[in-house]
Parts: sequence; structure tokens; C-alpha cells
Amino acid sequence: MKKKVISAILAAALATGVIAGSAVSALAADADLNGTTIEFWHSMGGVNGEAMDYLVQKFNSENEYGITVNAQYQGEYDDTINKLKSAQIGNMGADLVQIYDIGTRFMIDSGWIVPMQDLIDNDGYDVSKIEPNIAAYYTVDSRLYSMPFNSSTPILYYNKDMFTAAGVAEAPTSLAGIADVAEALTGNGGAGEAISLGIYGWFFEQLLAKQGLQYVDNGNGREEAATKVVFDENGGALNILNQWKTLYDAGYAPNVGRGGDSGLTDFAAGKSAMTLGSTASLKQILKDVNGKFEVGTAYFPSVTDADQGGVSIGGASLWALNNEDAAKQAATWKFVEFLVSAESQAYWNAQTGYFPVTTDAHEEQIFKDNIAEYPQFQTAIDQLHDSAPEYAGALMSVFPEARQIVETNIENMLNGVSTPEESVAAMAKDINASIEDYNLLNE
Amino acid sequence: MKKKPSLLERTRAYGFLLPCILIFAIFLFYPFFKTIFLSLYKTNKMGQAKLFVGIGNYMDLLTSSSFYNSLKVTLIFVVIVVVGSMAIGLLGAVLCNKAFPGIRAFSTAYALPMAIASSSAAMIFKIILHPSVGILNKLTGLNINWVSDPKYALVCVAILTAWLNSGINFLYFSAGLGNIDESIYERASVDGASPIQQFFHLTLPGLSPIMFYTLVVNIIQAFQSFGQVKILTQGGPGESTNLIVYSIYRDAFFNYRFGSAAAQSVILFVIVMILTLVMFKIEKKGVKY
Amino acid sequence: MEAIHNTAGAVNLKSQAELDALHRVMNAKAKRKKNIRTGGLLAANIVVAIIILLPLLYAVSVALMPSSELFTMDLNVLPKQPTLENFKNALENVPLLKFVLNSFVVAGIITIGQIITCSMAAFAFAFLDFKGKNVIFMLVMATMMIPGEATIISNYLTVSSWGWLDTYQVLIVPYLTSAMGIFLFRQFYMSFPISLYESAKLDGCGNIKFILKILMPLTKSAIGAMAVYTFINAWNMYMWPLLVTGSEAKRTVQIGISMLNSVDAQSITLMIAGVVIIIVPSISIFIVGQKQLIKGMFSGAVKG
Repeated sequence: MKKKVISAILAAALATGVIAGSAVSALAADADLNGTTIEFWHSMGGVNGEAMDYLVQKFNSENEYGITVNAQYQGEYDDTINKLKSAQIGNMGADLVQIYDIGTRFMIDSGWIVPMQDLIDNDGYDVSKIEPNIAAYYTVDSRLYSMPFNSSTPILYYNKDMFTAAGVAEAPTSLAGIADVAEALTGNGGAGEAISLGIYGWFFEQLLAKQGLQYVDNGNGREEAATKVVFDENGGALNILNQWKTLYDAGYAPNVGRGGDSGLTDFAAGKSAMTLGSTASLKQILKDVNGKFEVGTAYFPSVTDADQGGVSIGGASLWALNNEDAAKQAATWKFVEFLVSAESQAYWNAQTGYFPVTTDAHEEQIFKDNIAEYPQFQTAIDQLHDSAPEYAGALMSVFPEARQIVETNIENMLNGVSTPEESVAAMAKDINASIEDYNLLNE
Repeated sequence: MKKKPSLLERTRAYGFLLPCILIFAIFLFYPFFKTIFLSLYKTNKMGQAKLFVGIGNYMDLLTSSSFYNSLKVTLIFVVIVVVGSMAIGLLGAVLCNKAFPGIRAFSTAYALPMAIASSSAAMIFKIILHPSVGILNKLTGLNINWVSDPKYALVCVAILTAWLNSGINFLYFSAGLGNIDESIYERASVDGASPIQQFFHLTLPGLSPIMFYTLVVNIIQAFQSFGQVKILTQGGPGESTNLIVYSIYRDAFFNYRFGSAAAQSVILFVIVMILTLVMFKIEKKGVKY
Repeated sequence: MEAIHNTAGAVNLKSQAELDALHRVMNAKAKRKKNIRTGGLLAANIVVAIIILLPLLYAVSVALMPSSELFTMDLNVLPKQPTLENFKNALENVPLLKFVLNSFVVAGIITIGQIITCSMAAFAFAFLDFKGKNVIFMLVMATMMIPGEATIISNYLTVSSWGWLDTYQVLIVPYLTSAMGIFLFRQFYMSFPISLYESAKLDGCGNIKFILKILMPLTKSAIGAMAVYTFINAWNMYMWPLLVTGSEAKRTVQIGISMLNSVDAQSITLMIAGVVIIIVPSISIFIVGQKQLIKGMFSGAVKG
């Protein structure tokens, strides 16, 4: 209880501090930032890591305030959030940290952060520059809690050569539509399987959003912390699982394993005619395919063609940690502002395939060149713009576990251990139990 | 041994143990007592004790079918891993026991699997076992979904682990074989004992101290493997490879259930402890020093 | 025993000449037999070694492939157009060489430290008599059974309260001893007769001298096996270094591997190249240490 009081006082102090702080930061801004070093923790390895390093170095050498950013890779997404947890107990943290989408609710509730909106308001940054459908994910109570940085949506990748051979003119727009063209693709099309559909919690969430349905209660966990799942009551989960099982039973979508990239291998190998994958995978897919066939992209499928919904974004965003140091906070903002500038975002997009999070990046030459080189990426942009903030997706503190539960039960269904109905019931039961536990222990 | 050791001698003995005990106390016993303490609580998202539940976490586990499933797959896994890795290690060691051309190269080969981290090995096997691009299906002409089919997934992870652990077992057995007096073989040969008889009547008994060591260590280690599960199967399909340690890892780091993870750790600890004690009891009978 | 006497008796009956002839024939036979044996042994070794090495050889092969060659339905045991691109990218992408150096320092010190502390403790358990010996030994054994996940967070808090984060010692000190090492050495020491210790003591040999001059040379092979194992285990640490180090200056190789992984755009060939790169130093350590190992193994120093 005592803790609660203290945190209430702290929150109050923080709220007032923002107003007072704005003055301080503004003063701190140009003069006192010289020599400020901020710690930035991220999870970007491989090509993403290279692009990140480039941007950090560019900022360090070019910023006029004398700020130094010390960027450190802290393991994959899971590792980073775990490290942050330990570090915060030990009071040894970062100033800016990159956290994955499903850690959003945890971060909001953590009490360690300064909402990005505060920094934005301080500076008077024009938040409308950020893609509304991306910002929506990280916006709660009309406040942008973290700065979207590497955002992606899943799309449908398809093998154009197979589609041509099969005489299928258009990529299907729904799981039901996939079933309709599957025979043609495996017949004349020469595909080993119609679609390599990885068992991935994110796809399940998207298929729900495409139906316009919610995952959890309390406005999908956005108005208040969720207390239970609703995908069982609203029938959304059962629709997905039934359709999935139909595809599986017919041999159109065999079990290719767990994880977001598990379907990509069969696709790149020329076995499956379609797969689902992140927009950010485009370049690697093209590299793996290496001209063996032409790669087409289309919108992420809905469950049936009658569905009315959209896609939500995934990826990660940047969180400012509250280290009660006005200079560091101001410096953090300067760095974030640099990262979301049109120029940086265009570069980031071209290097990694994540969306430019700001629309003005579309005006940059580097962006235009990139989209000319990879016209498939236009699909991703269009899909994003065709969606709407209301499909931003759920927020839930126990998301990492929920995803695992969903995946486990889809596997059980495919392996004949349970029926779709039983799987949905088991998902709901397990996730509800874990939400209940969490809410009980973390009020 | 006849008279009681003097005070000086005893102090000296403790002195020799001091560095080890100190490190164990700080980095293993102390945190483990904390773990036992936490196992009596429900924890908040930071992993701090929040709600005292006594043996509640244990009761939850002992009534959960998922936990029994974890125990079951762990036991099957341990048996396959221990038998497999010791058999491979022993085979290599016996093959490399007598000097012959190229022995160095071969013994390097047999020890090599241990040079690989479990996560790296899992990455390699992930490609090898992939149903469509994997080399295993291509070479054998099979069409098996190795890691996504509950029939095979556990066996695959276990064989991978047996392979990984076989390297160190090879070294242990080689060291053990080196300590067996060559002359007993010569005598046995003169006696007309066949190589197979020699193996069972001379080699195995001669190896018994190191065999015992290897068995104990292998069992303990097999219980703790999880890097390969994390990369290869994530506990799936279903829960068919949800080894206890993997389940602990998930609960401790992702599921905000440190209390439950702690209780599982304690149970795992007790199981392994009992197994080890049993083995030490048997040792008194079976192992000749 | 009976059989030996009988044959010996029978041989005695024969004349010297017959005996010599027999000897020659036997020798030739034995030689042929030996050749066949060696040949058979070699063949068996080749088969077994290839099976064991297969996954590794395949990994090397994959690392040499452009990724488009890996993703194919055709048989692709060997790269058609081998490329070093993956290795080049891996080395450019991540300061792997620096990480290798860090890992070398850390793993090396841990190995030496463990040999010292474990020999000392095993000596006490095998040769000295003291109160609570069995209990303490079981406590030591118990440390092996504690799952690492159960201690890691608490240990993090301990070392961070000492201000040890992001240093070499934080990677080293917690690993300076191991129950496995103590147990291994104890097993070897216990196969020595206690009279070895008692006579050494009578000769005025102190405990430390006994360990250094008698026990250690006698257990070279065990030390070798343990050293290699310890080194490689330390080499393969991931979670702990990730948690307690915050900068590239102190990072170790396994973190380097995960740094090659780009979320959403994973290049498998690149990551396998990274795996191959970091296996090389640990294999070399093994090959160097192995000379010692084999020598120990064949010196037949200790009688069982």
C-alpha cells in the first residue's frame, strides 16, 4: 500500500513535472546538452543492426548539440525486455530502449517510462507526420506512449510463375479464397502445397483484426487493462480455426511448424505457392529466391471474403525511460526526433524493409528509388493505408504467453489432438487464467 | 583412519574446500534459497514476492496435467539422451583405445560435437530436419515433418542432445580406458577371451568409477538442457517437447510466474537429488575403486 | 588362470626346434591378425567419425552456399557455387574477432581457476578425513542440480550491488569452481590407493606438494578432459554474459551469433557462417589440448 501511495505521489509529481519540465528542457535543449551521453538498448541484429549502427553514428557525428548516443545490442526482443526488468530492479538502466509490440502494455504499466507524448509536447513536434495507422498501435488514452520505429504488417507472398501456370489471375484475398484456387495451384501450377502457413500467434491476431473483431475486452485492452479474452464469445477464433483446419485437412496448408518465418522456407524453395510473412522479410525472401521465380505480394488474407476489417502493425517501438535527468531526456528526444526524420526513415526503410513511420519520408529520393526497385513493397504501403486505427490490435500484459498458448492449441488442432471448438475453449481458458493471475498480482 | 583427525588436519581440510564453498554459497545456495522462498509466493511481474500462498504453487503444479506432461517428456528425453550419448561416447573411446594411424584425427572427430553451443547445434539441425529443404528427408527419400510431428519431435531433440553430449563422454571414457592396466588384456588374450568377453569382463568393470561419474553427470545435465528446445520446437508441437527446464524458463521470463517457476525448480531439484542419491547408494555396491 | 597353466604345460613338452618354428608361425599370424585388426579398426573409425561429423560438415557446406542454394527442393549437399560471402558478411557485421578475444580471456581464466579449486576440493574429499565430509560432498553435488534459470536474476542483483556489471570479473568469478570438476577429480583420486598419500606424507611431502607433484601428473587425462569441457562451456555461455555486460567491449562470442540474426529477415546461411567461425577457435583449443590428452590417455600412468 505504501508503494501505491508513493507511486501516486510520483505520478502526480511527474504530471506537474512535465509542465515545469518543459521549461527546463527547453532551456537545457541547446546549451546544456553538450557532452550528454545517452544509453540506447536495441534488438537489431544482422542487416537491421547495420542500418541501426549507421544511423547512430550519423547522429553522433552530425548532431549540433554534442550529444553522444551509446547504442548497444541487448539480445533479441525477448532478451531485451528481460534484461530491462532485471536492470530496473538493480537501477541500472538505459535512457532509450526498443521494445517489441507485445511488450507495450507491460511498458505502459511499468512506471519506468516517460510517455513519448510528453517529449513530443515539450518540443511541439507535429505528431500528425506519423502514419496514423502505425501511431494508433502505440496510442492509449490519446497519448502516444512510445515512438514507433521498426513497424511492419504481414502480407501474402505468392509465386507468380505458379499462379500463371495454374491460370489463376489474382491472388486470393481470404483463407476461403485460398481453398478455391488450391487445386489449380498444386495441379497445373506445380506447387507442392498451396500455402505454407506458419503457426504464429501474430497471424492469428491479424486474422481476428481482419474480421474486425477484438481479442480481449475493455476496448481490446486499450481503454483499461483487459480482464478476459473475447475471441471465443465473438466467434472470431473459431472462424479462423475452422478455416485453417479445412485448409490443413485438404492438404492445402500442411503443418510447417511454429514461428513467423517457418512458412518462408517452403516458399523460397519453390514448394508452396503462397506464404504469409512480414513486409520486412521482402528483401531476404527475394535474396533467397534469387530469381528462381517471380515473387508477388498481396494483402494479408481475411478469413472469408465477407470480412470487414484491417491489419494491425507489429515490430517494435522506442521507449524513453524516466531517469529523472532533464538533460538526458532532452537528448533522448533529440535522438528520437532524428530517427524519425524523413531522411533517416527513408534510409531505414530502404535498408530493412520496415515501414517509414512518417509520411514525409515518402518524398525522399531514397524512398522513391527503393520502391522502384522493389515494387512489391507498394502492397505493404497500400495495405497499411487501407487499414484503420480501429484495427490497431489488442494490448495485453500477458501477450507473450498468450501467443504461445494460441500456437500450442493450433498445433493440437492440426495434430488431431483437439477439435477447433476444444482448441478455442482451451485458448480462452488458459489465457483468461493468466490474465486473472496477472491482474490480481499487479494492480 | 585409526585415530580421530587432529583439529589442525580438519581445519586444513576445510581450507582446501573454502574457495569452492564460498563461490557455491554466494552464487548457488543463496539464490536458490531465495528461489525456495519465492516458490511459496505468487510473484508480480517483476518477479518479486507478492502474495503468500504456502504450498499453493506446488499444489497447482501437482494437479496440473501440463506439469505431469512436462515430467513425462523430461524423463523420456533424459533416458534417450543419457543412453545415446554414453553409447556414442563409449563406442568412440573403444575404437580409439589402441594406437593406430590417424588416431588423433579420429579422437578429435569424436570429441568435436562438444565444441558447439546447444543453440548453434539446434540451428544446424533445424535446417537438416526441415521437411522440404532439409538434407535428411532429401537423402533418405522420407517425407517426415521431423520437428512438427509430435511423434518425432521429442526424439529429434533428444538425439541432437545425445550427439552434443557424446563428445565429452568420449573424453571421459578415453581417460578412463587409459587408466585401465594394459597387462590385464594381454593376460586375458592369452586366456583366449574373445574381445567381446574382454569388453564386458575387463573394460566395463575397469571403467566403472568413470562410468558412474559419467552417468551421474549426464543425467543431471540432460535434465537441464533447454537451448535446443528453445530454438527447435519451443516446447511444441502441442506440449510434446515442453521439458521442465524450458517450462521454467518460460514461466520465469515470459509468463510473469516466477513463483511457479521457482516451485518447478525446487521440484526438479528434488527429483534429480533423489536420483543422484539412489545412484550413490548403488555406487557403493557396483563401483570398484 | 587354469587355462594358462595347461597350455604352458603342453608347450613345455615340445622340443626347442619345434617351439621356434611355432613361434615364427605365430608371429606371422599375429602380425597378419594385427594388420587385419588395424584395418578393421580404421574402417570402423572412419564410418563412425563420418556419422558423427556429418552435421558439422553439412554446416560448413551451408555456410559456403549463397542462400538461394539452400532454399531449393533439389539435392544440395555441397554448394554449387561456393562463396565466402557469408563469412565476409558475418565478420563485417559483428566484431566477432573482438568477441573471440574476450571469450578466450574469460574461458581461459575460468578453466585455470576451476582446475585449481576443483583439485583442492577433490583432494580434501578423497584423502582427508573431516567432520561432515559426506554432507558437504552432497551439498557440492546438489549445486549441479539447481537449474540456472532459478538463480540468474538473483545473481544479477548480487553482482550489480557490487558494481561489477560490465567487467571481466563478473563473467569469471561465479564460474571459478564447478561441482562436476570436483566430482570428476574425486572419482579419479579415489581410484588411487590411500597408501599413495600416506607414504608421500611419510616422505615429508606436504598436501599442496602432493596435489601438484603427484596427483596432477597422474590425472593429466582427467584434467585435460575437464579443461576442454570447462573451456568450451565457458565459450558457449549466453544468458549470463548478455545480462551482465552492456557493451561490446566485454561481449562474448555467443552474443555475436545472436547479433547476426535480423528479426523478420533472418539469413540462415549468414548465421551458420557465424556458427562455423566461432567453432573454429574452440576446435583449435581442443586440438592443442588433445596432444596432452592423448599422452595422458596412453601413458597408462595409473593402475585401475
